[in-house]
Amino acid sequence: MAADIISSIFGDMTPLAAMIFLLIGALIMPAVQMFGKKHTVTWCVALLMVILSFVTDVILLTNDVEATYLGVKLNTYTTLMSMLFLIVLFLVVLVSNVSTETTKNHAGAYYALLFGATLGMLFVASSSSLLTIFVGVELTSISSYALVALKRKDGRASEAAVKYAIIGGMSTALTLYGISMIYGIAGSLEINDLANYVTFNDFTWMFGVGLICMIAGYGFKIAAVPFHMWAPDVYEGAATPVSMFLATGSKKMGLAVFIQVFMAMFIISATAGSIFGLTVQYIFAIIAAITMTVGNVVAIAQPNIKRMLAYSSIAQAGYILIILAVMTPQAEAAGIFHMFTHVFMKGGAFLIVGGLICAGIGEKISDYKGLAKRSPFLAAAMMLFLFSLAGIPPLAGFTSKFFLFASAVGTPGAADGTWIWLAFIAILNSAISLYYYARVVKAMYIEKGETTEKIKIPTIFTVAIVVCLVFVIVLGVYPDLIFGYCEQATEFLL
Amino acid sequence: MIAEFTWLIPFIPMMCFLMIGIFGRKTPEKGGYIAIAGALLSFLIALAISIEYLGSDEFANGIAIESSIRWFEIGDYTLNLGYYVDGLTCVMMLFSSFISTLIFIYSIGYMHDQGERKNRYYAEVSLFLTGMLGLIVSSNFLELFIFWEVMGLCSYLLIGFWSFRHDNGDEASANAASAAKKAFLVTRMGDVCLMGGLFIFLNLFHSLDYSAMFESVEAVAAANPGLFTLALCLMFGGVIGKSAQFPLHDWLPDAMAGPTTVSSLIHAATMVKAGVYLVARGFPLYVQDVNVMLFVAIIGGITAFIAATMALNNMNIKKVLAYSTISQLGYMILSLGAGGYLWALGYEELGALGFFAGCFHMMNHAFFKALLFMGSGSVIHGCGTEDMRLMGGLFKKMKITATTMLFGCLAIAGIPIFSGFWSKDLVIDTAMNAFNNGADGAAIWFLILWLLAVITAFMTAFYMFRMWFMTFMGEPRENAQHCHGESPKTMTTPLIILAGFALVSGLFMFFGLTDMLAFEGEAIDGVEHGIELFTNPFTYMTIILAILGIGIAYMMYVKKTMDPGKFNKNGESWLYIALTKRWWFPDLYNQISWKLGYGVAKGVNYIDRQIVDGTVNGLSSAVVGGGDVMSKVQTGHVQDYSSVVLFGVSVLSVLILVTFALLGGF
Repeated sequence: MAADIISSIFGDMTPLAAMIFLLIGALIMPAVQMFGKKHTVTWCVALLMVILSFVTDVILLTNDVEATYLGVKLNTYTTLMSMLFLIVLFLVVLVSNVSTETTKNHAGAYYALLFGATLGMLFVASSSSLLTIFVGVELTSISSYALVALKRKDGRASEAAVKYAIIGGMSTALTLYGISMIYGIAGSLEINDLANYVTFNDFTWMFGVGLICMIAGYGFKIAAVPFHMWAPDVYEGAATPVSMFLATGSKKMGLAVFIQVFMAMFIISATAGSIFGLTVQYIFAIIAAITMTVGNVVAIAQPNIKRMLAYSSIAQAGYILIILAVMTPQAEAAGIFHMFTHVFMKGGAFLIVGGLICAGIGEKISDYKGLAKRSPFLAAAMMLFLFSLAGIPPLAGFTSKFFLFASAVGTPGAADGTWIWLAFIAILNSAISLYYYARVVKAMYIEKGETTEKIKIPTIFTVAIVVCLVFVIVLGVYPDLIFGYCEQATEFLL
Repeated sequence: MIAEFTWLIPFIPMMCFLMIGIFGRKTPEKGGYIAIAGALLSFLIALAISIEYLGSDEFANGIAIESSIRWFEIGDYTLNLGYYVDGLTCVMMLFSSFISTLIFIYSIGYMHDQGERKNRYYAEVSLFLTGMLGLIVSSNFLELFIFWEVMGLCSYLLIGFWSFRHDNGDEASANAASAAKKAFLVTRMGDVCLMGGLFIFLNLFHSLDYSAMFESVEAVAAANPGLFTLALCLMFGGVIGKSAQFPLHDWLPDAMAGPTTVSSLIHAATMVKAGVYLVARGFPLYVQDVNVMLFVAIIGGITAFIAATMALNNMNIKKVLAYSTISQLGYMILSLGAGGYLWALGYEELGALGFFAGCFHMMNHAFFKALLFMGSGSVIHGCGTEDMRLMGGLFKKMKITATTMLFGCLAIAGIPIFSGFWSKDLVIDTAMNAFNNGADGAAIWFLILWLLAVITAFMTAFYMFRMWFMTFMGEPRENAQHCHGESPKTMTTPLIILAGFALVSGLFMFFGLTDMLAFEGEAIDGVEHGIELFTNPFTYMTIILAILGIGIAYMMYVKKTMDPGKFNKNGESWLYIALTKRWWFPDLYNQISWKLGYGVAKGVNYIDRQIVDGTVNGLSSAVVGGGDVMSKVQTGHVQDYSSVVLFGVSVLSVLILVTFALLGGF
């Protein structure tokens, strides 16, 4: 019913429906700010556009609509990923108006950039060619550089933005270089053709180098080691809602690229057990193992909670990279599901940090001492988010990690059990991660703060935190809410 | 069918947890009565289900009642949620919920003056009970693992409960904080192993349901012997962490920093029993591998012995009990290991006897250890210290506490009629059986373990009575003089009830307990084995050793005819120092976890941030305040980041070629 209405409005352009709302939003936001007297008006309009886009997307998802328009695809995978990005956008926009860190004088530009960045993500999710994916990624990246710079009176932000832009520019160059090499050899930019190429042709060193350049370029987006060094600086420097946007949204786009490009390219040859496919699997296994280990180990030494969360998110990307080593549809579903749970748990943690900054609490872990007394709700929520990140049942992080690791243990392919060692490294890493999460919990619950004065954070923050909390618990005990769609989405990989 | 309501057993404490959290503050005792009602209700349901099950045909045929609903599917793995009731489940859920109820009642008196914080206490203990009862009734290992973790989480909060106790953050509260963290992280090491083991089982069995696994275990174990053994060992790693077995035992004495009621909850009724329960529950898996069972037995024997030595000279009343807990857990694991070993070799009756002895000792221990802990809580409540050097002569002031604790001490020392005697002697008997029937080479191990178990029995009698004499006999010292008499009725009534059980629970083996704790239908004859104990000369030997231990304690601490200073050179002999240092285990942990772990983290961080940044410090200090964004970088140099990226690309490019070559691509 509702899906019919959408198709009658948008006609052939239905695959673009959710993006159109975002585009309109991006275009009108500066004007709204100029004519609206209050920031709140701008905010309301922005929120409205997000909700419109989100509702459209959910309707298309739940009705299993499939279509293609000028190469832009619409299927369960694209709508599911779009939903993920729109959830992130919704949470970020929701708290942006009350956060003391985001600039109000440039609210129009701020929202326009957020919409632009998300538009790029949606575009990536719907693309099936290296070139369109590249364009989408760049749209997101360039918007994000500006977003990082837009923070009130803080030198750290502009510095982080410049760093981010320079390293980002370099990774873009690498990506493009890689794409051109691959195009030169395989003669196509369509993922389907490339998948055929790697299935029926032998490995050449030039293709290998082109591939590595692409992995490095997109590895920058997901902050895979050794392309991760910008992440802690940028997350620390940017306004917390923007850090959250980068950690949960932008990073998930990078992972979507990994699934759509590398997994789609190699899944056939990997399943067939060809040496070419296996080589790529091993490369990803190594990157995954190093990424999660470096992320978790370095996180232990971080005194700043935003930096700690940045490293923890590097580690989480490492966990998800397991799916590229395993290369099965089952692993893909688990990976997508983990992205969802990660949005809620990591997003929730960032929201609490952001909310507390509004209330005048610092970013150091030592500033969180005695929080349980000052705000029992925030402390309990933070504890649940962190324990979920550490993978403690029955929270969402446990379930999704369980799916991820289980997929690594039981690959029903030619080489059964090849990746058990990777699952073990991942489990060990979860144990290490608990150490630094427990440190925060200890500060909040067990150590004594200097004051027991109650903390009040803006109500909107509390609402956003409750949303995340509900999903962290619900997805833990009832994963089928989303996991069914994740499994369905794997059918559209190629 | 009341059994259909088995899910209520963990669900009711869960609801209590929510109720206490939401409106417990407004009720009397800040939710204490809700917690008691919940635990009692769970116990009553468990009782009704047990009675029904014991009278059913299923029980007569040795079949478990089981029901599961599908939770989720991943690929071709289906994971369920459900309940599983057999004799072992009945015994476990009965004593866990019963003792927890008594502990909650006792808490009303013990925690009375804790004010608002009682609310948090009762909420957390209710959730803790949910974890334990859920773990017991689970129908598969994943569900068990979830409750297992819930319990770990609560223990973390409960052990650290008194970190706020003193407003100026003194040593005691600092201890509570670090003890909580230690307990959490150390047991978590075990949990990681357990989870790894479960993943392998999932891969091998494509299910984690008990019934499905037990059915196909022989075929699977024969098909993948290597992986199966690895999974068993990893699963036992979880037990080592949770049940405080050597070498991960050291968190347990520290965990005494929590309130005494929490100690008795964790050490008697719940948590540490979960590890033993896991071995008992997974027994059909364990008995497939004779070497793993030998390993289990060895770990148990070593734990029993080492922990007992550390209790010998400790001055803290709760720490002595903590070491005795570890030691007794070692007995249970030893018994299960030796029993499983015998079963794996084909001696089914002797194997079943070992299984029974381990579970039986777990139950008896739950009663007398809860009694001892709550008794020590009553003493601490009365004189405000945990140091036994400041007590003494309390018998006159606290008659009920002293008498009931005497029952507990007699039980744990293994004096006939008292419960500990029956189960402990069966455990020692099992070790002897394993020696007599073991394969060449391995049998000698069991002789050593038997010897360790016997010496442990002697030490147990000594240190328990040392504790009792130092506390209740002799001249009142410092704090004992200010003791304001017996504890309130809410505290003494549970003690009296438990003292009754410490006296009689051993006799349950003559009244059908053996049928409930039968392994794979191999029920041993309780009456026969009970009487047989008295025809065995070794039994008399252990009784004599126990009496000897008590005698020495009496000479040293009451008669003062023997001077303990002579044995320890007034605290300067190396052995004495080794024992007070807990055989240097805490230091070892610190070296490994803190120095090494944190050092590595620091080092990696340093490389990550500093080495690649090169001259960052000099540069940034030169331009501080210049506002030059390009070069003033407080955390890292952008040029260096770029070099790392390029370096990474080069390494990966080489790596892909090498990997391809290694896999035989060229």
